[in-house]
Amino acid sequence: MTVSVEPEEFRFVAFDSALIRKVGESLVATLGIDKPVHVCVDETTPLGRVRAEVGDKIVVTVESGAFEDSKRPRNQSEVATKINLGRILLRVNDRLRGGFAETPPDDELSLPQMAAWETYCAGRLSRLGLRINRQRWLYNFRNRHGFTDAADAAFDQLWAAENLTWSELQSICNNG
Amino acid sequence: MRKFFPVEELARDSRFTQINMRQSQADPRTALVGPNAAKRLKNNRLTPSRPDASEAARNLMHGIFVGEIQALEGAGRTCHDFELPDPSSRTADKAATDTVPFALKLDMARQAWDESRHVEISVKLGEWMGAEIGQFAENTVLFEAACSTDPVMRLAGVNRALEGLAIDVFTTMKEFGEVAGDPYLEFCEDWMLADEVTHVKMGSDWLRKVTENDPERRAKALEFQSIVDRLFSFGGTRSESEDSPIGLARRFRELAGFTTDEVDDIADVSLAALEERKAFAAAAMSTSSSSNSPAS
Repeated sequence: MTVSVEPEEFRFVAFDSALIRKVGESLVATLGIDKPVHVCVDETTPLGRVRAEVGDKIVVTVESGAFEDSKRPRNQSEVATKINLGRILLRVNDRLRGGFAETPPDDELSLPQMAAWETYCAGRLSRLGLRINRQRWLYNFRNRHGFTDAADAAFDQLWAAENLTWSELQSICNNG
Repeated sequence: MRKFFPVEELARDSRFTQINMRQSQADPRTALVGPNAAKRLKNNRLTPSRPDASEAARNLMHGIFVGEIQALEGAGRTCHDFELPDPSSRTADKAATDTVPFALKLDMARQAWDESRHVEISVKLGEWMGAEIGQFAENTVLFEAACSTDPVMRLAGVNRALEGLAIDVFTTMKEFGEVAGDPYLEFCEDWMLADEVTHVKMGSDWLRKVTENDPERRAKALEFQSIVDRLFSFGGTRSESEDSPIGLARRFRELAGFTTDEVDDIADVSLAALEERKAFAAAAMSTSSSSNSPAS
């Protein structure tokens, strides 16, 4: 499947559209996504949000901070590109794969719901060989589900999970 | 031992990457203006309700960590860089600008001790939040303010302006921990905040005492403080506007020896800097200038 990137050349950041395309193509192949992907980078903001809309093609909108090297501001990090593109493509893939039909649209997800889903994605990405800081995701999860042993147990379960449905994911969260 | 150590030669291992304020200010990107700004949150204050809260808090925590290292280095340098006054010139109206009283050195030594403890606490908090040492670029502005050859300038620039900013930052982080229910963050920030109030108070007290008979020197020092306050407000990072991630901690600043007028002045300077930042970003976005090439 094709991966396209917009813009081709960047003005405010030193990003490489060819690298984004290469990372995207690798992820699409690994995850078995069967729709074309268009990655649109908003280079006017240093924030790091990533969104996706699914139609005939998957349109991923990325704020430049998501692909940025935090050690070298305005420069691209291949690791960050892989992780953040991987997170959103895993969520898209979950929706396309089935079992997530009743999931609310991304904009309507609560912060605890999103934290749980992100944990599930980050755990899977780490098993795909990406360098993921587990503590980072644990802290994010605790911020949304509480600093408790029960929340930590739910995190462990989500992190290790494969092939969850939305209701199973929700159930783990609710127990946490 | 060498005196007046340059910022370029600070001891850091390969994990650290340093940037200066000029590089930081050259970034035209902002969340405040631009084609998609209207779709973003109207309140940028760092609270747990922000979708990117834990990432933003982790970034700020790393900024605190490197700031503490530089504050330790700065206070230590002030202990060592200046000699004690010549006893025979005690009756002079104006103190020499290259000497400091012994009690001021003792206060700087106490501050260095505090800062070293803060470094250790910040490392632990960073690990707790999932940050790695050197994960974010280190802005060296704090130590640069501690490079002046006049100790009074250091008191104004570091203890009053930058440690004052630390009061604002720690208050924001303490509230973040309180709302998120993070017991370690709230507790640690509260303790460090108490120390920062003391550091600012020391700066305020010594600035007044050392320049007691030298109004011109005091005015220059306060002007320098204002410049540092403005510099560190660039990007709208700290102000009373909700566009800024960090608020102005009025109560703790008063406890630290700032007058209400002084806090009002800082609020005005910060707000002006925020508006300047918006104007700079808007101008950068309206022109496709080749001079906007990113820093390498």
